[in-house]
Amino acid sequence: MAYRRGFLFICVLSCILAVTTGVHAGGYDAFKGLEGTLRISGGTAHIPVMKALAREVMTRYPAIRITIAGGGSGVGIKQVGEGLVDIGNSGRRPTDQEISAYGLRLHRWAVDGVAAVVHPENPVRSLTSRQVQDIFAGRVTNWKEVGGPDRAIHVFTRDEASGTRHVFWKKALGKGAIRKDADVVPSNGAMKTAVATDPAAIGYISVGYVDETVQALALDGVEPSLENVRSGRYPVARGLYSNTKGQPSALAQAFLDLLFAPEGRRIIASKGYIPADR
Amino acid sequence: MSRRERLVRKILGTATLCAAALPLSILIFMLILARPLLSSFSVSDLLTGSWAPLQGRYGILPMMVASFLLASCSLAVSFPVSLGCAGLIFGLTPPMLAVPLRRLVQLMTGFPTVVYGFVGVFLLVPTVRHLFHAGSGRCLLSALVPLSLMITPTMTLFFSDAFAAVPRPILLAAAAAGADPVQRFVWVVIPSARRGLAAGLVLSFGRALGDTLIALMLAGNAAQVPSGFLESARTLTAHIALVIAADLQSLEFASIFLCGMVLYVLTSCAALCAWKMRAATRKNSR
Amino acid sequence: MKRIWPWAVRCGCYAAGLWIVSGAAGVVGFVAWRGLPHLNAQLLFGDVSARDALFGGVPVFDGLWPAVLGTVALVTGAVALAAPLGLATGIYLAEFSRGRLKEVLTVFFDVLAGIPSVVVGLFGFSVSLLLHKLVSPRLGPCLLVAAFSLMILVLPYVIRATQSALEEVPQEVRLTALSLGADRVQNLVWVLLPHSLQGIASGLLLAVGRCAEDTAVILLTGVVVTAGVPRSVLDPFEALPFYIYYISTQYGSTEELERGFAAALILLGVSVSLFALAYAVRRAVGSWALYRA
Repeated sequence: MAYRRGFLFICVLSCILAVTTGVHAGGYDAFKGLEGTLRISGGTAHIPVMKALAREVMTRYPAIRITIAGGGSGVGIKQVGEGLVDIGNSGRRPTDQEISAYGLRLHRWAVDGVAAVVHPENPVRSLTSRQVQDIFAGRVTNWKEVGGPDRAIHVFTRDEASGTRHVFWKKALGKGAIRKDADVVPSNGAMKTAVATDPAAIGYISVGYVDETVQALALDGVEPSLENVRSGRYPVARGLYSNTKGQPSALAQAFLDLLFAPEGRRIIASKGYIPADR
Repeated sequence: MSRRERLVRKILGTATLCAAALPLSILIFMLILARPLLSSFSVSDLLTGSWAPLQGRYGILPMMVASFLLASCSLAVSFPVSLGCAGLIFGLTPPMLAVPLRRLVQLMTGFPTVVYGFVGVFLLVPTVRHLFHAGSGRCLLSALVPLSLMITPTMTLFFSDAFAAVPRPILLAAAAAGADPVQRFVWVVIPSARRGLAAGLVLSFGRALGDTLIALMLAGNAAQVPSGFLESARTLTAHIALVIAADLQSLEFASIFLCGMVLYVLTSCAALCAWKMRAATRKNSR
Repeated sequence: MKRIWPWAVRCGCYAAGLWIVSGAAGVVGFVAWRGLPHLNAQLLFGDVSARDALFGGVPVFDGLWPAVLGTVALVTGAVALAAPLGLATGIYLAEFSRGRLKEVLTVFFDVLAGIPSVVVGLFGFSVSLLLHKLVSPRLGPCLLVAAFSLMILVLPYVIRATQSALEEVPQEVRLTALSLGADRVQNLVWVLLPHSLQGIASGLLLAVGRCAEDTAVILLTGVVVTAGVPRSVLDPFEALPFYIYYISTQYGSTEELERGFAAALILLGVSVSLFALAYAVRRAVGSWALYRA
């Protein structure tokens, strides 16, 4: 009896082994034999993708630990530059000064648009760039001036470390002013929450974060859809970068490779971004 | 004195020295790290200027005003409330109510601040927005309510301790003179516990000033001098939590250490004042 | 006129009592109403079975388990650091120092107790930067730094609890062993400390509660969104209070929000029970509660 149980156990064990080794997909093989902790921080637009990838990797290779923190693009660039993390994400291209000062290597793995968003109940569906600039600068303060209901506009913006803010400010606002009394929220998710719960709000988020709880606005008649971002018709677009300081460690390299492998690209697309080639 | 006692004394003394070095080293760290800012601007400019880092202005006045406004207003709300609660606990209500109230207040000191903030985000902010139709709902008022609720329990406990320390003979004398409980409370207990009350008030002010999460989650965080309770504002503490993200070499980053220093100085002044007042009470009662 | 004002004072007091009771009921009721339906094993372990997560070492991604363990590790670390230092300092203050020195030291710890937690967190952050520059580039904000910073935060509690417990030992108890020929160290170890155990224990419990709920310190010293079950004290970590803060600002779906409410309920429950326990251990806890800026 004991013999048979032992036999059964070995059968099951070998089955499990066969299944788990069979499941291995190419992009994850690079992690084989690696161990240690990979620290990632920075852009909040990157977090959904990073979390999904980390989950896949850590499930397959328990010896690897991947920690993910937010903070914004500025934090990502600063922390990787100071060596506090292995990979620093940014939703904007690091400035030349940052690249040279820290010796950064850039890896642009996705393209993403930044869309102005309002509450779904708001009838406004499209704005000109002029109107957007006026609203964010505080020259237009009521929705009825841009074809909406008679309601004061609540402007939401991000903190200065945000890459989303940087891109929106540069490409949609033409580096114009943002009103000082605008409410500052710390992340893309927070922006979505704030706008989704405030019928008079306007804010801006990464296209990957847009869902049915918020309404993305067309800018000068161009919808911020994935096709329009990909083709370049929607102008407020940016790359999503993962930066390393100099030569990445083996673990960081494997992770970056994964972002460009088919498995990684599938996850990137599933989170609403456009995978980019190396 | 035996050798063993000397040894124990030495070990304990070293530990005490280490512990006492902590508050000093915190201050020194703040000073050193704020130096880049202090060496390029004068202190008065920094303390009275506006915050516009893109234009090279690193003043922290908006944050100081917001912190002060928020702390003093929440104190103004919670002081009478605490006084009332402490009065109830002291004996203005039958023990059947006073004892459970005291228990509840004690338990409330254990409510995590992040939970106050969480409830504020999902309950208070939408309510404020609908009631006042002003702003996004994230404003001083939204932070004020949970903040005053947070400091009330500790203040109440402090006040009831101060009331309990009022010498019994005075109370008995007042009762013998025909004073009813309310009269005794208003004319005897409160005046003789005034130093304890003041100490509790000052310490609670320090605590309201030092709260981070409620202000960060509910006050809106716009770096401007607020002109009303429905305006978005950023406190010193929230400023630290937000700007910690800045470049390590930048002056913005140095400014959070200035904020830390201001908070440090204000709260330690509060602690010193409270200690002085309590010391005076002790001397009087002796 | 004379009749009215006592009545008004009484009414005012009752109104104050009502306000505080309704405030507490509002907070607890709202969190319980939204969080209670989602308290289940899935909340902790996500789609991994509880046994696999506990004993099989299977990583949990959709649950609170790593955050709960992170908080436990953090609290353990902080209290393990604070207890010896706080006890030693408390004993020294109560038994071996007097006069001016004692007064100055007491003021020092009053000041320490009043420092806002975000400033303590900032200090911890700068210490971690210093370690990073001077000791090893692998070091940064991590569990150890966070535990150290929390230790600073709760140290005054432990010191004050120990000191006042020792000072409240009645004179006759204090003198008995001495008069029988015990020296001061023997008296301390065999009489005074056992006698003040309750007070010290309640101080430690308050410290645990304070560590478990604080968010501002860990926000600056290495808490992250995803880290898994803590493995090394030099790694970043997850923690329950930060999870609640994170969810409140960036929840992406209703399920996440529900988890946030359930997490808030758990933290509220744990924190309140720790405080209740501390008060039960020692009834006459009053103004210590103030030391949580």
